[in-house]
Amino acid sequence: MIALLGPEIAWYLGVAAFLFATGAFGVLLRRNPLIVLLSLEIMLNGANLALIGFSRNLGDGGGQIFALAVMAVAASEVVVGLGLVVALNRKRITLDVDRLNTLRG
Amino acid sequence: MVWGAWICLLSPLVAACAITVGGTHLSRRAAGWLATSSCVVAFAGAVASFVGLLTHTASDRQFISTAWTWISGGRYQSGLSVIVDPLSVFMMLIVAGVGGLIVWYSIGYMDGDDEERRYFAYMALFVFSMLLLVQSGNLILLLAGWGMVGLSSYLLIGYWHQRPTAVAAAKKAFVMNAIGDATMALALFLLIQQGNSLEFGVLGGDFSSTVANLVALGLLGGAVAKSAQIPLHTWLPDAMEGPTPVSALIHAATMVTAGVYLIVRTHAIFEQAPKVADVAAGLGAATLLVAGLIALVQVDIKRVIAYSTMSQIGYMFVGAGIGSYPNAMFHLMTHAFFKALLFMTAGIVIHALTDEQDIRKMGGLRQLAPKTYWAFLVGSLALVGIFPFAGFFSKDSILAAAMAKGGAFGYILWAAGLAGTFLTGLYTFRLLFVVFWGEPSAFVREHFHPLGRDVVAFSLAIPVGILGVLSVVGGWIQFSPWWHPVETWLQTVAEPIVSPASWQEWTSIALSLLLGLTGIGVAWAIYGAHRVAVPRIAWAQRTLEHKFYFDEAYDALFYAPAVFLANFLRRGVEQPLIADSGRDLGDDTRDLGGIVARAQTGLVRTYALAIATGVAVLAIVFVIVK
Repeated sequence: MIALLGPEIAWYLGVAAFLFATGAFGVLLRRNPLIVLLSLEIMLNGANLALIGFSRNLGDGGGQIFALAVMAVAASEVVVGLGLVVALNRKRITLDVDRLNTLRG
Repeated sequence: MVWGAWICLLSPLVAACAITVGGTHLSRRAAGWLATSSCVVAFAGAVASFVGLLTHTASDRQFISTAWTWISGGRYQSGLSVIVDPLSVFMMLIVAGVGGLIVWYSIGYMDGDDEERRYFAYMALFVFSMLLLVQSGNLILLLAGWGMVGLSSYLLIGYWHQRPTAVAAAKKAFVMNAIGDATMALALFLLIQQGNSLEFGVLGGDFSSTVANLVALGLLGGAVAKSAQIPLHTWLPDAMEGPTPVSALIHAATMVTAGVYLIVRTHAIFEQAPKVADVAAGLGAATLLVAGLIALVQVDIKRVIAYSTMSQIGYMFVGAGIGSYPNAMFHLMTHAFFKALLFMTAGIVIHALTDEQDIRKMGGLRQLAPKTYWAFLVGSLALVGIFPFAGFFSKDSILAAAMAKGGAFGYILWAAGLAGTFLTGLYTFRLLFVVFWGEPSAFVREHFHPLGRDVVAFSLAIPVGILGVLSVVGGWIQFSPWWHPVETWLQTVAEPIVSPASWQEWTSIALSLLLGLTGIGVAWAIYGAHRVAVPRIAWAQRTLEHKFYFDEAYDALFYAPAVFLANFLRRGVEQPLIADSGRDLGDDTRDLGGIVARAQTGLVRTYALAIATGVAVLAIVFVIVK
């Protein structure tokens, strides 16, 4: 295996875990859908970082491919999510996810 | 010869199919003529077979023509075959001939009915079924014809399907006949198992007495149901709900005579099971008395004739049961003539009185419809068996045969037959006097409209005229003390096992003539001249009007328990187990859903938390397990 420069895998994973946790707390705690979407992106990027870190560590390009795929999905997701937010705003609905509860059983 | 038989068999079928397929492309009248001409062609085919048989010597008169192998399984094989022998040709001539006349008559009788085409398709199908029954070359094909006759009778009795009574009568006839079909099928199964064949020849085989008895009993069950003998007779009077020509067809030329034909055709097995043959004769005797008694109190013109049919078939059963096959067949033939005549004359009366069948409203029709009166008189005299009309020749020889059988049983049958003759005279002429004699009643004066001189009237009158002539001369072909061509003709197929001595013949003739005339005399005294008041015995009249409570007894024995059981099963099994279990399953699922639904808060963040928690828990579990 080619020796690679840079910090150990643990550092990458640490940062990735930190990003993921930040995103997760954002999704769970914030009520503004815009912020929730933003936090989701942060979670995805945390996951991406973990994928790339492993990919580099194992010398396997598959992880990077996955990361690219995740980015593509994330982009689409943002398009849909932001579209929804814009639609909500146009209908003068308060941007608060707790009040969007018509699916209650 | 065999080609004649095939033409005879297939032409009514072709007509039935053509009328069905043709639909409205055929005019109603054309459908009627098509059905009639198909019967005429069938009759011509039968005549061709008859002539063909005549050219052979007596011992060589049996031909079986097989179209193809119909059923083949293991060692068992049956062909789609017709048999041409004296017995089948005899029946073919009657069925096609009298049937054709009746279909012709229908053109006039059914004129203007809404669904004439359907009627004629059914009629042609009926004639085909009956021809299939009498021509089939083996028992399995005979059973097929047997079932088809039942089906077509169901269709025809329920022809006026908008009448609930007609539909009920049709169902009753079908169910009663199905009982007979079932016993017959069981007999055939036993025959296949024991003899491995259903050709007619197998019946003469060597069977243990149990097998012979069972097979004969099964066949007798079929015969009793189809021929409306006690105890399966209750469908026949109800079958009068059908159009009058249908009654004529069912009661004269076809269907009810099938039972007699079956016994004669399968006499070999009945001769191996003499007790069952005695049962057949006993049932015949019982039926002829019971039906004769019931006919005394009926007030529906067609029902009186229907009961007289049952009674006359009773005579044939007596004849067939004691082994006097040619006489049974001869009576079958003369009966076809005069009973068709009576029904068709009654049809003209009903037609002229705008569909009224209650004889209490009739009277004095002799003055208004003299020709109809004469036709009815001829039919009645033939039915009672007065010299020189047809019934005289055929009925008396059955009585003589009963006498010749001897023993207590033979004489009981003989006495029953003689008593039946008296009853026949009484009820037949009661009908005649009530309907035709006296002054025209108010109802008749108001409703009577004579026949015109158009095609309708001719279609009604000509077949009646032909049958009237046959009812006079039809019996002359055999006078058992002196000449017996019918017996000679049927000799090779069904040789009688009793031969009456000359004194027995003459005693029976004298006594039955005397009793028949006495019956007519009593009827005249009561209903014709009104010299004697109608005897009133309350309980007897009640019993007779309830037809000996057969319907009530069957209701109590079969219908009521079945309904009770069905109700019990519905309340005790179906309701709690099937209906309720389904409902409970649905209810419980909904309740459960209500509980689960509470978890669905609609708060997205709660869901996210649940997912996150789940993932965290799973991760921890994986780490620990690893």
